[in-house]
Amino acid sequence: MMPISQSVIKKDHLAKACGQAMYVADYDTTQMLQGLILRSPHAHAKILSMTYPPLPEGYFTVDYRDVPGINEVHIVKDDTPVYADATVEYIGDPIMMLVGPDERELERLLAQIEVNYELLPAIIDVRDGDTAFFDYHFGKGDMDQAWAEADQIFEECFETGYQEQAYLEPQGLIADYNQGKITVRGSMQCPYYVHGALAKALGLTPDKVRVIQDVTGGGFGGKEDYPSILACQVAVAAYKAKGQPVRVIFGRREDMEFTSKRHPSRCTYKAAVKNGRVTALDADVIFNAGAYTTLSAVVLQRGIIAASGVYDIPALKVHGAAIKTNTVPNGAYRGFGAPQTFFAVEMLMEHIANALDEEPLAFKLRHMVRQGSVTSTGGRYHFPVPLPAMVDEVRKMSDFEQKRQVYARQQTGTTRRGIGISLWFHGAGFTGSGERDIIKAVTRLHKLADGRVEILASQSDIGQGIKTTLCKIVANELNLPLDQVSYDNPDTDRVPDSGPTVASRSLMTVGELLRRAAIRLRSQWQEGVEQTVEEHFKEPDFVIPFYIDKFQGDAYPTYAWGVCAVEVAVDTLTGVNEITGTWASFDVGTPIDLNIVIGQMEGGLLQGLGYASMEQLAADQKGRIRNHSFSDYIIPTAMDVPLMKVQLHVEAYPDGPYGAKGAGELPLVGAAPAYMSALEQALAGPINHIPFSAEDALKLIRQSRRA
Amino acid sequence: MVNGFSPATLQEALEIRARHSVTPYAGGTDLMINPDPDAVYLFVNHIPEMKQIEQRGDQLHLGAACTYTQLLEHPLTPAILKAAIDLIAAPAIRNEGTIGGNIANGSAKADSVLIFFVADASLKLNSQSAERIIPIRDFYRERKQLDLRPDELITEIILPTKWLDHYYYKKVGARKALAISRVVFAGLLTWQDDVIAHCATAFGAVSGVVLRCPELDALLIGKTRSEAQAAKAGYLAAFGDMIAPIQGRVSAEYRKEVCLNLLTDFLTSNGI
Repeated sequence: MMPISQSVIKKDHLAKACGQAMYVADYDTTQMLQGLILRSPHAHAKILSMTYPPLPEGYFTVDYRDVPGINEVHIVKDDTPVYADATVEYIGDPIMMLVGPDERELERLLAQIEVNYELLPAIIDVRDGDTAFFDYHFGKGDMDQAWAEADQIFEECFETGYQEQAYLEPQGLIADYNQGKITVRGSMQCPYYVHGALAKALGLTPDKVRVIQDVTGGGFGGKEDYPSILACQVAVAAYKAKGQPVRVIFGRREDMEFTSKRHPSRCTYKAAVKNGRVTALDADVIFNAGAYTTLSAVVLQRGIIAASGVYDIPALKVHGAAIKTNTVPNGAYRGFGAPQTFFAVEMLMEHIANALDEEPLAFKLRHMVRQGSVTSTGGRYHFPVPLPAMVDEVRKMSDFEQKRQVYARQQTGTTRRGIGISLWFHGAGFTGSGERDIIKAVTRLHKLADGRVEILASQSDIGQGIKTTLCKIVANELNLPLDQVSYDNPDTDRVPDSGPTVASRSLMTVGELLRRAAIRLRSQWQEGVEQTVEEHFKEPDFVIPFYIDKFQGDAYPTYAWGVCAVEVAVDTLTGVNEITGTWASFDVGTPIDLNIVIGQMEGGLLQGLGYASMEQLAADQKGRIRNHSFSDYIIPTAMDVPLMKVQLHVEAYPDGPYGAKGAGELPLVGAAPAYMSALEQALAGPINHIPFSAEDALKLIRQSRRA
Repeated sequence: MVNGFSPATLQEALEIRARHSVTPYAGGTDLMINPDPDAVYLFVNHIPEMKQIEQRGDQLHLGAACTYTQLLEHPLTPAILKAAIDLIAAPAIRNEGTIGGNIANGSAKADSVLIFFVADASLKLNSQSAERIIPIRDFYRERKQLDLRPDELITEIILPTKWLDHYYYKKVGARKALAISRVVFAGLLTWQDDVIAHCATAFGAVSGVVLRCPELDALLIGKTRSEAQAAKAGYLAAFGDMIAPIQGRVSAEYRKEVCLNLLTDFLTSNGI
């Protein structure tokens, strides 16, 4: 282990542990107005008229007519309105905000607002959808020949459900408009995304917009795009309030029912097999985008680029579509489209191996990519692919072969056991050329006269420890004690745009920029004076340029790798399963802090296990999300954490700080297929959807009894 | 600001209960989820008479304001009740929540209530002027409909302990803690001199109130092993007719299948 990997006490540990950290809900509200949002009760309707009740003094309404700039929230495409004007497109679509000093009075008044709607036909089920927001095609090799020469063709449809980020702190922001300048602060991942959205909606120049991230209680992607939407709404209210700050903090129900979730998917895969090898793969990937485009384009891109998993398949045809439905817009969630396609491709490989009567792991190993292999988009795996060694590690840790053989025999009693394994990657950093062409990250180091150094960057610590790890890097290069390097929550008035806190990029990309900045500062160091150095992103030379219109080139400079085994015991009386062990090896390059990385790996793995099983969420026939509380949307508790043995396999990345690459999302991505593979062995039947419930298990038990 | 009364004795509590329209509040773990700003609460969590645990002959008297944690830690608490309590919610809620509250909530998913049903417990209900002792099965009229008068408090649960030692208990929740039962089953069966001296079963979370059918369990009482084995199919079929689960977060079919699987396993584990 490198010295930099040694764990330290997190920079924000004491403040959080002692309750001193200021979250957006902690600010004194005596001089603040509160906002309450009126939302559509219909999945699709035209707004014919609205009647507001007489409002007491100090109360006012805010709707699309109050938007001083353009009534669009800038995300990727800008089709999300700040407030609905002509139509509402999903249950929960924000129509207006009622603002005033007293929350109970706001609730009373909001109930008196009358809206006349003309109902329009709504598309709830993605299979009925006729609008593709995004429609991508790419491929390689000779599909026709592979198909013509195939010994066998396999076809299967895989489905995955919603997943709610379930961060502890709900969405919340405060906006204040003063002397021609708007300030928005609160819970968020991407201050400069919010900054850009505000400039457009308020029609202000960038210098008249200030965004401050407050201590944020979890994000997991849920605070990537959504704060841009809420910020515009609150800022328009503050603009109208003229001098009085306006605060909106969601309750759990509002947050769970109306904010973005992981895209449900339907992946139809066809594979050609010749001489025991998959020669071609046709992947049709459908994501349910919801009512507006938000982040669907980029989520879908990452999903389909991973369509063939970690396998080297000569011919590939991929189609991906993000389909509009009149349901809550889906967005970012740790893994960003990849958990859906990795579930499909891993289960497909299991099923083909089973049909060919070969052990799935051996079958997978025979197909695995290696260094130099061509990626799905014609790029290269430039660096060593450590999967074989990682598979061996997990095999040993879990006693995989022995268990797999024992559980394959006839099992008696009321318990059925199984063990399964999955292999995956996660592309480190932004997909494609986003980093080079769009983000163009800038960081600064500011040295004070007394020798202390402050990091100026726009990364937000959302629990992943980025404050600590960035400071460790800078302190290490400057040979300073850690307490001499500081990193405050980003404030766009003070920090340059080093990009959003997403895509497992912050440490790898921004961390490397800061490392270089620190080296430069060290070479220029002058005692007793203030100094500033600045560093700009530069794409590594080895990268094959990526063209998104053709899906050609290196989608990622490098990859983080994951191997996970899951063991289960199923109660045949109830269908309930218990995870009796999980063993995983993760390669995230050099860990910049061992405790932080292991925490990320275990937490992400657990989210992946929850995604596969208990986290059931659905829109009903009218398009309403009914699981909007923690008693109805079930996530794992401490009691549900299984035995977890996680170890790190370090394949250092030369262009990341000390060899670090993306870490945050990786552990979630491939947990589900390992779990489902274990259940398949225990239940002796195929699984092609998640979440997979106890009820689903009981059905499989019943079927295998009949057979 | 919460409006309420904090009586120090049962007598005082019953006087307030008679004079005012109050909501009894013991642990408050159900009430605080949707607080009613207009409610006036009668805090009964510090009334000594309602916190006692006492064995009298074959009956265990449990004060209605006993918390789950108190019972979990008490040497007199029967193992079957501990097994159920151990899976209720999480430690923080078990520290506050009470068995009287679990009963008064009126839900067929209440995990301690299932044990009181299978044990044929009775409830002591007190008002200023009277005291009633009624079987818990009569107390629950239907879902959320309880035989409790506006001036009464549930003060005690009287639990017959004679048949509790040989028990079967299984809860199916969506996870291992903080989980509302999707199906929950308890069974008691005691052999004496090679015949079944006692058999009692109860199913939670399948209908408006806990399902307890002593007339069906009576089919096995007094039977030898071979007679019980012969009666098994009829017994299961009779329960199959009785169990008509409600559709909820899991399907009615799943609930029924699990109920019958557990009932079968209960018999199997008793050698039947």
